[in-house]
Amino acid sequence: MATTVVTSADIASEAPRSDFGRVLAQRERRFAAALLAPAFLALLATTTFPLLFLIYTSAFRTDLAMPFTNGFVGFENYQVLLSDERFWTSLLVSLVYTGSTVALQVIIGLALALLVMDMKRGQGWFRVIAILPVVLSPAVVGMIWRTFMLAPEFGIVDFLAINAGLGSKNWLGDPTLAMVSVIAIHTWQWTPFAFMVLLASLASLPEDIYEAARLDRASAWQRFRRITLPLLRPAIVMVIIMRTMVALTAFAAIFTVTAGGPGTATEILNLYAYRKSFTELSIGYGSALAVALLIVTIIISGILFAMRRAR
Amino acid sequence: MTAKRLRVFALLAISVVFLLAWAFPIIWSVLNSLKTDSDVLAYPPKLVFAPTLDAYRDVLFGSGSILPNLLSSVIISVGTTVVTMLMAVPAAYALARLRFRGKRFAGFYVLATQMLPPVGIIIPYFLVLRNIGWIDTYQGIILIYLSFSLPFAIWLLVSYFEDIPFEMEEAAYLDGASRLKTLWRIIIPQVRGGIAVTVVFVFLNAWNEFLFAVVLSGNTVRPVTVAMFNFVSVEQTLWAKLAAVSVLAMLPVVVLGVVAQKHIVKGLTVGAVKGGGRR
Repeated sequence: MATTVVTSADIASEAPRSDFGRVLAQRERRFAAALLAPAFLALLATTTFPLLFLIYTSAFRTDLAMPFTNGFVGFENYQVLLSDERFWTSLLVSLVYTGSTVALQVIIGLALALLVMDMKRGQGWFRVIAILPVVLSPAVVGMIWRTFMLAPEFGIVDFLAINAGLGSKNWLGDPTLAMVSVIAIHTWQWTPFAFMVLLASLASLPEDIYEAARLDRASAWQRFRRITLPLLRPAIVMVIIMRTMVALTAFAAIFTVTAGGPGTATEILNLYAYRKSFTELSIGYGSALAVALLIVTIIISGILFAMRRAR
Repeated sequence: MTAKRLRVFALLAISVVFLLAWAFPIIWSVLNSLKTDSDVLAYPPKLVFAPTLDAYRDVLFGSGSILPNLLSSVIISVGTTVVTMLMAVPAAYALARLRFRGKRFAGFYVLATQMLPPVGIIIPYFLVLRNIGWIDTYQGIILIYLSFSLPFAIWLLVSYFEDIPFEMEEAAYLDGASRLKTLWRIIIPQVRGGIAVTVVFVFLNAWNEFLFAVVLSGNTVRPVTVAMFNFVSVEQTLWAKLAAVSVLAMLPVVVLGVVAQKHIVKGLTVGAVKGGGRR
C-alpha cells in the first residue's frame, strides 16, 4: 500500500521525481525509521510516558503512608499548591539559587577566560584543573564540602574564617549562611564549565578585528565592550541556557549538604517535590509540584531562547 | 615595581588563588583519606602527618565493604553506556544524514526531552517499577538512565556526524555497498573520535547520577554515590573512611576527565559554540 503513496511533502521537497529516485527516497525513509526506532521507543518510554503519567498522577491523592485515603481529586492538588506557603518559598529559593549561581558562573568564568587568554604560560594548568570539578559527582562534591570544608571548627573554610577574625560560623545551620554555602558550592563546581566554554569561544574569535581596533586606538575596555562581548554573545547565552536548566533541577549537592534545611531555607522546588513524594510519601501532591517545576522550566527556557534569538 | 611587573604579579596571584580554590577540596579529601580519624579532626588542620592506607583497607575489605557498591556503579555505568550507544549512534546518523519526513520534529523531540525535570520522571517511574518489581534492580536503573543519556548522546553525536563530507558515503553507496554496510564500514570509522567522547560523557553522567539512584537503589543495587552516606550518621562520622570512599568515587571520573581533557572541552563547547550559529 505504502508503495503508491506520494505525498505533497515529497513533491514539494527536493525529492527526485523519477521512479528510481522515488524508490530510493522511500528506501531512505524506511532506513531512517529503522535506525531511529529503538532510540525513539526508549525515549517515549522513559520521558514522554512518565510525563503523561505524572500529569495523571497529579490528579489523584496517592498517599503511600495512608492508602485508604487515595482517590481521584481532580485539580485539588493544584489548588492546595497555590495556597501552600512552602511551595512559594521553594519557588523563590529556586529562583535565587538559579539566578545567582548562573550569574556568578558566567561573570567569574568570563573574567577568568579573558585573563587566561592573555597568559603565555600556565594555560595548561587551568585547563587540567578546571576539568576536575566538572567531572565530579555533585553528590561527592556536596559530601566533601559538607564535611571537610564547611564543618564547624575543623573544616577549612571555618578554619580560614576563624583566622580571618570572623569567628567560627555555623555554615550549614544558619538559614542565610546555608543558602550562601550551597550557592558557593554550585558556583565552585560549575564555573569551570563556563570558563572552558568561554575560553574556547574566545580562542575562536578572529584576531584581525582586534588588530584593526588596536590601530584605531580602541582602549582595552572598548575592545571588550564593542568586539568581544557582541561576538561572544551566542556562546554566553548558550552557557546561560545550559546552566539554568541544570541549576533549576539541581539536586544531589543540596541534598547531600543541607537536605533543604535548615528548615526549608535551601529547599529548592525540585527538592520539595522529592521530599513530598519520597519522604512524606504523598506522591499525588509531589507530582503536582513536579508539574509546577516543569511549567517554571518551560517559562524560563522560553524567555532564554527568546533572548538567544533577539539581537 | 613597574606597572607592568605589578600587572604580571597580580595576574599570577589571581591565577594561583583560583587554581588552589578549584583543586583544594579534592586535594584535601585525598590527604584526609590518608590520615587517621584523629588527624582529620586535628586543629589547626594538619598538613604534615604520617600517611596510612588504613581507611582504604577498611572501606574496601573491612566489614561493610563498599566493593559491592563500586561494582554496582561499574555495572550501571557500563550498562547504560552500552545500551545508550547502541541506540544513539544509529539515531544520530539518521538525524544528521538522512532525508525523511518529520526530521525537524524528531530533532526537536530529542532536544525537548532533555528539559524534563528528573524529579518529574522519577515519581511516575517509581510507581511503575514498584508494580513490576524492578526497584533495586540493574535493569530498572539502566532503563531510566536512558532518559537523560540518550538525548545527550544523540545530540552530541549529531554534531560529529554532520562534520563528515557527504561524498564519502555517496561513493561507497554507488559502489554498491548497502546503506547499513556504508554506515558500518565508512561512516562509523570517521566519527570514532566523536563516539569516544560521547562514551566518556555518558559514562561520567551515569557514574555521577544521584537522584534516580537514591530512589531506585536498595540493598542489592546501590551505587557508591549513595552508599557513601553509610559513613555519615547522626551519631558519628567516620571521617577518614568517608574521605577514602569519596576518593574512590572520584577516581574513575577524574582519570577519565584528565585523560580525555581536550575532547571533553570540545564536547562541552560543541553546543555552545555551534549553538549560536544554528537556526
